[in-house]
Amino acid sequence: MNTRVRERYDAVFKLLFKTTGMLVIAVLGGIFLMLVWNTVAFFIKVSPVDFITGTQWNPSGSQASYGILPLVVSTTLVTIGAMLIAIPLGIGTAAFISEYAGKRLKNFLKPAVEMLAAIPSVAIGFLGIVVVGPGIAALTGQPNGLNALNGAVLLAVMALPTIVTIAEDAINAVPASYREASYGVGANRWQTLVFVTIPAAAPGIIAAIMLGVGRAIGETMTVLMATGNVSAFPKGFFHSVRTITATIAIEMGEVPYQTTHYFALFAIAAVLFLMTLAANLAGEYFVNRFRKYHAA
Amino acid sequence: MKKICVFFLIVLISCNDRQTIIKIKGSDTEVNLAVNLAEQFHGIKPEYTISVSGGGSGMGIASILKKQADIANSSRPLTEEEKLLFKKMGIELKIFVFAEDATAIIVHENFPVDTIDVPALSKVMSGEYKSWLPVTGKDLPITIYGRQSNSGTHSFIKKKLGIAFSREAKEMNGNAQIMESIKQDESGIGYIGAGYISSETKGVKILRIAERPGTAAVSPLDKSSIKAQRYFFQRPLYQFIPLSSWQKVQTFLQFEKSDEGKAIIQKEGYYIL
Repeated sequence: MNTRVRERYDAVFKLLFKTTGMLVIAVLGGIFLMLVWNTVAFFIKVSPVDFITGTQWNPSGSQASYGILPLVVSTTLVTIGAMLIAIPLGIGTAAFISEYAGKRLKNFLKPAVEMLAAIPSVAIGFLGIVVVGPGIAALTGQPNGLNALNGAVLLAVMALPTIVTIAEDAINAVPASYREASYGVGANRWQTLVFVTIPAAAPGIIAAIMLGVGRAIGETMTVLMATGNVSAFPKGFFHSVRTITATIAIEMGEVPYQTTHYFALFAIAAVLFLMTLAANLAGEYFVNRFRKYHAA
Repeated sequence: MKKICVFFLIVLISCNDRQTIIKIKGSDTEVNLAVNLAEQFHGIKPEYTISVSGGGSGMGIASILKKQADIANSSRPLTEEEKLLFKKMGIELKIFVFAEDATAIIVHENFPVDTIDVPALSKVMSGEYKSWLPVTGKDLPITIYGRQSNSGTHSFIKKKLGIAFSREAKEMNGNAQIMESIKQDESGIGYIGAGYISSETKGVKILRIAERPGTAAVSPLDKSSIKAQRYFFQRPLYQFIPLSSWQKVQTFLQFEKSDEGKAIIQKEGYYIL
């Protein structure tokens, strides 16, 4: 009797969890299908070649043009800038927390860095408008600081917690025997870190960077507020740019349903999806390689 | 949510079972005014609950199409495309003009001149002039702080000047952000709703506009000129109401037209013709 009741419970819960699991996959599939569906609708009206090679994004002009290039370049520029700042800072912080910091400092630093992820992106965007932007303007003698560099600095701050946490886990997971062997042949702490520990943790660190990139590409509010949203083709870090995410955010609210412009926004959303997917897949791949490497 | 949008909900005070809920969406220019009107109105008639949110004129009109609002505030008339969409959806619209708005052209307080004529302004806004040299005699690059394309003010200035905005124009999130940026940027020029400025506004200069070089320049703060329709950038503020909500919002519209409503509208920096 007791056994039968238990078996029934098991069956019910199995079904329940199966449903929730399937539901999540169905949501993902649904979103993906919607993106593809609307993107196809767009490509019926505008040729993919014009879309990919066009250097102007101007859907509301008298001669509507749907070139994604300036948007992709903007997103890439801001993301690369963010990574140039966040990678050295992130790996440095991770190495310090893992190898140099004492136990008490470590117990404080790690949660503190993770807290950074809890700051809402609007707050960071606001910081960009009132602090970082004017700061950049004053330092470089520009009339204003609403440019790609401003966005890059802010995105670096936002990507840091991801990078630091995962990179620290990776460095921490390098077996102690590696370090001991290194010390044993006479290497000092710095040499051990640079030549033994970090190379051994490399797949994990690359995974951390890729996940940080994924975070930076998809961020909307901060870049919308801080980069000036200029639709001209981006010229460099000291010029205003308009990223893919900002373009979707600006234009989605007013676009009439089922028009070419509407479908175009889904097409650029699909491109954004592919970019973040690539970054996240690369991250996952390296995380797995890193796990296998240490399991062996 | 699409953008920073003001969202005010006037909470019902009594548990009156005859509560009427009116949803107002649309123009960021009008959102402060609409919130004030709604608050006062709720004070007089507590059985009405009014929620007001911004997002841009286009957003408000789209909300009516999606049947998510009773009133769409708009600082521009309907476009042909929108008229067609309403016809297709079978929604009949009532149009109500409740105030007159003026858009101010603002620059940094150290800007060397006080007046600009419309042809020169067109050249500045369209990007034909890259430097302030022809206007002020100072060789400083021009930085344009504009609104995003979902803003009614954006399309108003564009249409009124008959230009396409420079592709170098920055697209800011709202009037307040434009104001903050201009305060910090000596090379900047921007446009904001007159409701956001007064003669006490610090840090920016409000340019007087001359229709042609040599004609008298008019300031948007000059009430009598606005009444005489002499300021170049003035326009009516619309409220679009679907016929299905027309009965429900009558009392509110009457309040807007009452002396009390008019006083609020004027206090907010708008005009009544």
